[in-house]
Amino acid sequence: MNSTALKWFGRSWMLLVYAFLFLPIFTLVAYSFNDSQLVTVWSHASLRWYKALMQDSDLIAAVMLSLKIAFLSALVSVFFGLFSAFALHRYRRFTGRGVLSSLASTPLVMPDVIVGLSLLLMLVSVQQALGYPERGLFTILLGHALLGTAYATVVVRSRLTEMDSKLEEAAMDLGCRPWQVFSLVTLPLLMPALLSAFLLTFTLSFDDVVLSSFLSGPGYSTMPMVIFSRARLGLNPSINALATVTIVVVTLVVIASTLYSLRQDRQRKRDIAQAQQE
Amino acid sequence: MENANKSPLANEPLLRIEGVSKIYDGLIKAVDQVTLNVASGEIFALLGGSGCGKSTLLRMLAGFETPSQGRIYLGGTDITDLPAYQRPINMMFQSYALFPHLSVSDNIAFGLRRDGMAKEAIAERVEAMLKLVQLTQYAKRKPHQLSGGQQQRVALARSIAKQPKLLLLDEPLGALDKKLRVSTQIELVNIIEEVGVTCVLVTHDQEEAMTMATRMAVMSAGSFLQVGSPKDIYQQPNSRQVADFIGSVNIFDGLVKQSPANSAQALGIQVECADALLRVPSNQACHTGMAVGVAIRPEKIVLSRKKPTAKVNHLAGVITEMAYFGAHTSYHVKLASGKVLQAQVQSHADEASADLSWGDQVYASWSDNAMVLLTQ
Amino acid sequence: MASLMQSLKNSIPSWLTGRRLVIGLPYAWFLILAFLPVLIVLKISLSEMQTTAVSGMVSWQGTWPSIKLDVSSYLFLASDELYLATYLSSISYAFYTTLICLGLGYPFAYFMARAPKRWQALLVMLIMLPFWTSFLLRIYAWKTLLVNNGLINNALLALGWIDSPIEMLNTPFSLMIGMVYSYLPFMILPLYANLSKLDGRYLEAAADLGCHPFKTFWLITVPLSKAGIVAGCMLVFIPAVGEYVIPELLGGPNTLMIGRVLWDEFFSNNDWPMASAVTIVMLLLIMLPLAIYNKLQSKGHA
Repeated sequence: MNSTALKWFGRSWMLLVYAFLFLPIFTLVAYSFNDSQLVTVWSHASLRWYKALMQDSDLIAAVMLSLKIAFLSALVSVFFGLFSAFALHRYRRFTGRGVLSSLASTPLVMPDVIVGLSLLLMLVSVQQALGYPERGLFTILLGHALLGTAYATVVVRSRLTEMDSKLEEAAMDLGCRPWQVFSLVTLPLLMPALLSAFLLTFTLSFDDVVLSSFLSGPGYSTMPMVIFSRARLGLNPSINALATVTIVVVTLVVIASTLYSLRQDRQRKRDIAQAQQE
Repeated sequence: MENANKSPLANEPLLRIEGVSKIYDGLIKAVDQVTLNVASGEIFALLGGSGCGKSTLLRMLAGFETPSQGRIYLGGTDITDLPAYQRPINMMFQSYALFPHLSVSDNIAFGLRRDGMAKEAIAERVEAMLKLVQLTQYAKRKPHQLSGGQQQRVALARSIAKQPKLLLLDEPLGALDKKLRVSTQIELVNIIEEVGVTCVLVTHDQEEAMTMATRMAVMSAGSFLQVGSPKDIYQQPNSRQVADFIGSVNIFDGLVKQSPANSAQALGIQVECADALLRVPSNQACHTGMAVGVAIRPEKIVLSRKKPTAKVNHLAGVITEMAYFGAHTSYHVKLASGKVLQAQVQSHADEASADLSWGDQVYASWSDNAMVLLTQ
Repeated sequence: MASLMQSLKNSIPSWLTGRRLVIGLPYAWFLILAFLPVLIVLKISLSEMQTTAVSGMVSWQGTWPSIKLDVSSYLFLASDELYLATYLSSISYAFYTTLICLGLGYPFAYFMARAPKRWQALLVMLIMLPFWTSFLLRIYAWKTLLVNNGLINNALLALGWIDSPIEMLNTPFSLMIGMVYSYLPFMILPLYANLSKLDGRYLEAAADLGCHPFKTFWLITVPLSKAGIVAGCMLVFIPAVGEYVIPELLGGPNTLMIGRVLWDEFFSNNDWPMASAVTIVMLLLIMLPLAIYNKLQSKGHA
């Protein structure tokens, strides 16, 4: 196979896979504007389901709850993820390092049902012994924060390994006490990683259905829980409207951040090239 | 570069390193019982190959590593247990380690701000530093907007901004290409001397050490092989290892035949070598039959077709290799015994050796003073 | 500011060094939330439903504790054919998902890594976009597509390729589509990360030595991307074994998945010991791939 044929083969392959990946997304968006009750038959375009969405108080309350939990769990995840990444990156040898490393990476691959069930049973045992916590927002938060910490650890750790270790030494050499080194040099340089860890864990929490189902209590239904229970029963068009709204928001954010980082990159390259010529 | 106007203080040296060792895992001795005094105003170089312990020693001075044994004194105070951020010592890193998120002036001001200096005083000092390294118009730029040479100047300015008692340089010219290196090393020494700060630098490049330092130490396997001025070390190496490490050298192996009976004669020590009997002017202690080496630097050897008439040492040989370097030419001369001598001849217009070529029969000659006796 | 920090410092006990805090805090976090729960699951799996409180396991007889272990759940698991079949079925679905993802994903990652540099950022972004949009919503969309009067059936009918709608939903087929769809990005990203770092000079050296491009691919590219392949496979296989949402929405009663069994035991039957036993056995099954994954992780960070 010569190289042009290979190139076209590659392009078609990639196109097909992209089409496969985006087909459901386009479907959701398209049918959200479909007037017909039957999700599958196109009648005419209308905003009927968006109006229904506005009035769907259950769903809107669930979205609000999900946003709250996602925001809080992202904060907690980044906090513990920062410590965890530091512990694993900075200290090469301590008792039980292997255990911490495994515990920090296992939630990434462990099936959700296992995490959900085990966490719930533990929380119930604690509740039986201490009378607290009641299942609800806090318990869902714990579950999401556990998962989020594992992801945040990966993101922060990869940035730490890229960072020049001499920068921290230079800061110390110039008179910084250890906590000053962290706040004046390390933290500013970690900011992009912390931000992306925040976004990642936010999305994970917002999207989760299994952990929320295991860990929530009466009156606490997250958005995915509501969607899931409705989806099990059948097809519900206002879900399409909700889906389209989230897709549009996510797409705009992803495109904006990609363009921003591309522009930063290009500017940086231009600066470096210019400096070389001077 | 000789530092003519400064002489080492007769009394208290600025830096005293006493019996310092760094031992890893109880076995590996990165630095082995090093003792050294550095006087105020000196530029002291630690020269050695990778793994010799020079960087470890430097890091112990900076405070990034603690010595396993020994003490370090700066200006009379024991700083061995002081953390890096409390020492009046600053370091210029090999990779510069400029803070990428801060501008040039913020980088330079960084250490000053930690000291709690007044704002106006900081601004004044930063301006003075920028002027010193000639980067005033780049004050607002970020490090990635500067060229390599400019970044180095910022690193230097930052390291002397706090007027440290001791300045540490980690392979200062390592990242530069050859042409830039020469101009930078002159600039660097000028600035250091202008500021008057005592300096310890670490390098694997002997040219860098010899041109920049007022005194230097050749280091190997954690300890000093020889300490002295660059000239002394080059002209009078104390061992084969040092002689071989610095520049190229020819070494004749032989046995001591006769040592001077009385010092008034001072004919020198006679060494029986495969090629000749050499009389080396030296007052080192040695006994008859001792195995020694006689070192001769290539540039001290003169080549000619005709046998030299003056009273100089000479040997006959054949030119087997030639390499033209522009300013000088390097020759390999094979002697009767099979030993190959390296000779370096400057390119002069009227030199008798200007038309030497491969296969030519020549005489290699050198004066008595060109020889150095190596007992180790 | 400095004096505030100083007074704060003086009130901290001496044993709490910076190092201990940085290591201890996340360690405690993970121990309590990731390790302790597993122990409790183990304990509950060995008890009866009435005595699921932790204290219920240990009873005192005089001064000696006696631990009551009830292995009835495990015995039931071992004897019931349906459970066995479900475990095997889950592993088999996970295995085939991994295989198909690898087959689709490897060429994709390969071509992506070879694309011109300025396109790669865009290509990565296009992979990440589905990842960032809700997974649940996208699976729900497949329901819409695959149902009898859904988009795909309607399209096939309109094209005249079929006479009557194909039963696509609630079948192993729809389950596999959902599984492959969800896990494909998890296979592509590690593969791409690995392949994009592959030094093109290895391929040039092979060509220089007379190696045909096709052979170069199998002899050089694939072996060098081994770490990426293993990472991708582990990232797909391990969670796929215990997948719940996709089988519930897209699979039918014929698709046996252990994740659903666990959910039903807990929520429908309210049988905690049974659910715990199912969990422990599932953990044992994924122990080996988990160990491989952890080894890969630590090697990568060495």
